[in-house]
Amino acid sequence: FRFKDSLAEDLRRADLVISHAGAGSCLETLEEGKPLIVVINEKLMNNHQLELAKQLHRDGHVLYCNCSTLVETLQSMDLSTLKPFPPGQPEKFALFLDKAVGFK
Amino acid sequence: TGGHTTEILRLLSCLSESYSPRHYILADSDKMSEAKIRSFEQKRAETFSNSQFTLDRIPRSREVRQSWTSSVVTTLYSILYSLPLTYKLKPDLILCNGPGTCVPVCISALLLGLLGLKRAIIVYVESICRVETLSLSGKILYYCSDYFIVQWPALKEKYPGSVYLGRIV
Repeated sequence: FRFKDSLAEDLRRADLVISHAGAGSCLETLEEGKPLIVVINEKLMNNHQLELAKQLHRDGHVLYCNCSTLVETLQSMDLSTLKPFPPGQPEKFALFLDKAVGFK
Repeated sequence: TGGHTTEILRLLSCLSESYSPRHYILADSDKMSEAKIRSFEQKRAETFSNSQFTLDRIPRSREVRQSWTSSVVTTLYSILYSLPLTYKLKPDLILCNGPGTCVPVCISALLLGLLGLKRAIIVYVESICRVETLSLSGKILYYCSDYFIVQWPALKEKYPGSVYLGRIV
């Protein structure tokens, strides 16, 4: 698994994803509509990586734990509490940019 | 690099063909972005017949957690390197989203503007990962860009000059 080109296949087949707090991993998983548990390793973490995981948790999109509480989380989790993650809207950016640049 | 490339390609996905030709600038050490960009452009060429793009590389300004003093030196080196490249490309619009690579390019563009050689509009979109704090590139370019876009409301509050459009990637 070390450096597969893309985990997209595996992601599509999964029922539950347990991941570190990297933004790419979190967002890819949420966009596939898979339930996600984010495991925080405070020792390795870049503070800013935590920001996104925390916000996603606050918004009810992911479950959140650290290495030592993972088992407990898995045992007591209720995935139905997770809210679906709406996709981003690059169209809004396009509209904004067109105006800013003076197109149309 | 990685996540930045994915984000910027998503930002480009809805842009019309008026935004052409596209010039991509990558860090010399970036191994994965080129493939993603070529794949994106290939798909685009299937829809828009006159689609054009170029790809250039500049020395990476700064490694993760590189010390402050050595970062200044490497960034200056990157600026010297990107100045002729930016002059050659003479962009009307620069779109960037945070990797260290964007700082030397934007600074080059600002210098070219000051010298009266070419004025580019600089649009910076902070990464979606940045919820409460700006990246280092963001902190620098907040003061140098024409439009500074953030994707979370807490940042809009902290940086009132920024633009908030919600999540756009």
